Amino acid sequence: MSRPLTLALTKGRILKETLPLLAQAGIEPLEDVSASRKLVFETTVPGLQLVIIRGTDVPTYVRHGAADLGVVGKDILLEQGADGLYEPLDLNIARCRLMTAGPVGWQRGGARVRVATKFVNVARRHFARQGLHAEVIKLYGAMELAPMMDLADLIVDIVDTGNTLRANGMEPLEEIASISSRLVVNKAAMRAQHGPIQKVVDRIAAAVAARAA
Amino acid sequence: MTSVDRWQLPDGVEEVLPQQAAAAERLRRQLLDLFRSWGYQLVIPPLVEFTESLLIGLGADLDLLTFKMTDQLSGRTLGVRADMTPQVARIDAHSLAQSGVTRLCYAGSTLHTRARTPTGSRSPIQLGAELYGDDSLAADVEIIRLMLATLASAGLSEITLDLGHVGVYGAVLEAAGLEPEQEEAVFDALQRKSLPDLELALVDADADTRELIVSLVELHGDDSVLARARELFSARAPQALAAIDALQDVATDICRNRPDVAIYFDLAELRGYHYHTGMVFAAYVPGHGQALANGGRYNDVGKVFGRARPATGFATDLKALMALLPAEETGRGAISMPDSDDPALLDRVAALRSAGEVVINCLAGVPDPRCDRELAERDGQWQVQALNTDQAAS
Repeated sequence: MSRPLTLALTKGRILKETLPLLAQAGIEPLEDVSASRKLVFETTVPGLQLVIIRGTDVPTYVRHGAADLGVVGKDILLEQGADGLYEPLDLNIARCRLMTAGPVGWQRGGARVRVATKFVNVARRHFARQGLHAEVIKLYGAMELAPMMDLADLIVDIVDTGNTLRANGMEPLEEIASISSRLVVNKAAMRAQHGPIQKVVDRIAAAVAARAA
Repeated sequence: MTSVDRWQLPDGVEEVLPQQAAAAERLRRQLLDLFRSWGYQLVIPPLVEFTESLLIGLGADLDLLTFKMTDQLSGRTLGVRADMTPQVARIDAHSLAQSGVTRLCYAGSTLHTRARTPTGSRSPIQLGAELYGDDSLAADVEIIRLMLATLASAGLSEITLDLGHVGVYGAVLEAAGLEPEQEEAVFDALQRKSLPDLELALVDADADTRELIVSLVELHGDDSVLARARELFSARAPQALAAIDALQDVATDICRNRPDVAIYFDLAELRGYHYHTGMVFAAYVPGHGQALANGGRYNDVGKVFGRARPATGFATDLKALMALLPAEETGRGAISMPDSDDPALLDRVAALRSAGEVVINCLAGVPDPRCDRELAERDGQWQVQALNTDQAAS
C-alpha cells in the first residue's frame, strides 16, 4: 500500500525519551527534530513519517485517523478515554505518578472538596469512588498555586520527584495511577493496514524489550 | 440571538446540499434496488416509538444514544430511533410473525444524542439488511456478501473485512472463571488491546488463566491467527473451537468469490459483545478512521416481542459512504423552455421529461444556468437547439 503511515509523537519531555527509543527500533527522523521548525518529518523507514504535536492532541489525531499511530502519556488516555484506540504497548518511558496532593497537614472538612486539576475526568472518577463529592476546577497549569490562593483544597496532578509540591508547602497524598507513555494505534488503520502497522509495533516492542532485559 | 447564530445547526447535525443530495439519493435508490434484487423486502419503521420497544436487546449504549420525550397522549416515554435494527426485529417478530426465513431491508434517518464516532454524524442515514429465521453460517455468509456488494455498488475498493466471533471470548471467559469486577477490567483492557492493562487486571489470577486471556490480545491479523488460536485453546477452552471453525468456513467462502477483499481476523473483537451471539463483522477502507459497515448475528432479540428468532444483519451510514464518493458533476445539460401555455409546447415538454430530460421553465427571460439547450419554435414545431448564449446574457 502506497499510503505512508504517520506516527504522532508528544512534544516536550516525552519526546526527549521517545526519540532514543525509536532510534533503538531503527526509526530515526531524517533531520534534527529539535533544530527544525517543521511539524512533519520523514524517517529512515520508508513510508513512515513523524508528526510532533501536543500530548493532548495525539489521541485526537489517532482517533480521527489523521495519524495511524501515536505516542502519548497514559495520563492523557485516562483523562480522554481510549475509544477508537488500541494501546498495544507500554513504552516504559517518561514514568511518573498521577496523584492527589494537598497542603501539608490538610484535614478533610465539609461534605464537598474543591479540587484543582487539568485531569477533570480522572479527578471526578477518583473522588466519586471514594464517596466524596468533589467540585472540580479546571486549570491549565501551576496547580500548586490553587490551594495557596484558596481556590481549591486539593489538586490532582502529575508528580515526578515531588520537589515542586514541597517547595510550595504541599505533600503528595494518594496515587491514582502509575503513568508511562503508551503506543496507541487507530482501530481502523490496524485492520486496513495491518501488515505495515504490525511491523512498526513489533520493532518498537523489540526495542522496549531489549531495554528491559 | 444574533444573526450569527441564527443559521447555526447543532453539532453533528448537517444538511445535504443539491450536488451531494443528488449523489446520496442516487446511491440510496441503487442500494435499495440491490437489496431488492437479493430478495430483501423494504420496511419503513416509524421515526419514534415507545422506548420499551425501541431500546430492546441492544445494550445500554443505545439507551444513552437515544433522544427521549414524553408522549402527550399516553404519558409514556417516546424515543427517536437511534438504531433501526430493534424496530426491524419487532416487525419481524410481531408484525409479520412469519415462520421460516424473512429478509428485510430499510433506509432512514436516525438521531444520536452523541456522535458514535469522532468523525461521525449525529443524524446518520442508516441503511441495512436483516435476515431472520435461519441460524446457519450460510445466512451469515449471505449477509457478509450483501455487505460487500453494497460497498462495491457505492464504488469502494480496497476493502478489508474484519471477522470475529463472540464465542471465542465467551469460551475463554468461561474457562477462566473470573470475578465480575475482574471480568469488567479484562473486557475494558481487551477492547483497547492494552497488554499492560490486561496484565494489571489479571494480577491476582493464576498463571494458567492469565496466559489464556493474555493470548487473546495477540490473536488478530491474517488467517495464521486461527491456527494459533486452535493450538492455544484446544486443551483449555475447547468450546472456542467451534467458533474458530465457523470463522474459517466463512472466510473460505468469502475468499472464493471475492479474492480482492483482505480478511482480518480479530478473536478479541468485543464490539456489541453483550447482544451479539455469533459471528461479528465489519468493513474498512484505507484512510477512513472508522468502520464503514458492520453487523453480526444477534439471535433471540425478538424474544421480548414474543418470538425468539435467529437473526443476522448489517448496517451502514449513507452519509459516511457519501463522503467518500466523488462529487457529482454540476448538472449541465438541462433544456430551457419559454414560459408559454402553447399546448404543443407543453406536450413536447412532457414527452422530453418522461424521456428523462430536465426541462426548466424560463422565468423573466433568463434561462436557468444549468441549461445548455432550449426549446424554440421553428416552422410551427418545437425543436431542441443549442442555447442562444447572447440571449442568455441579455
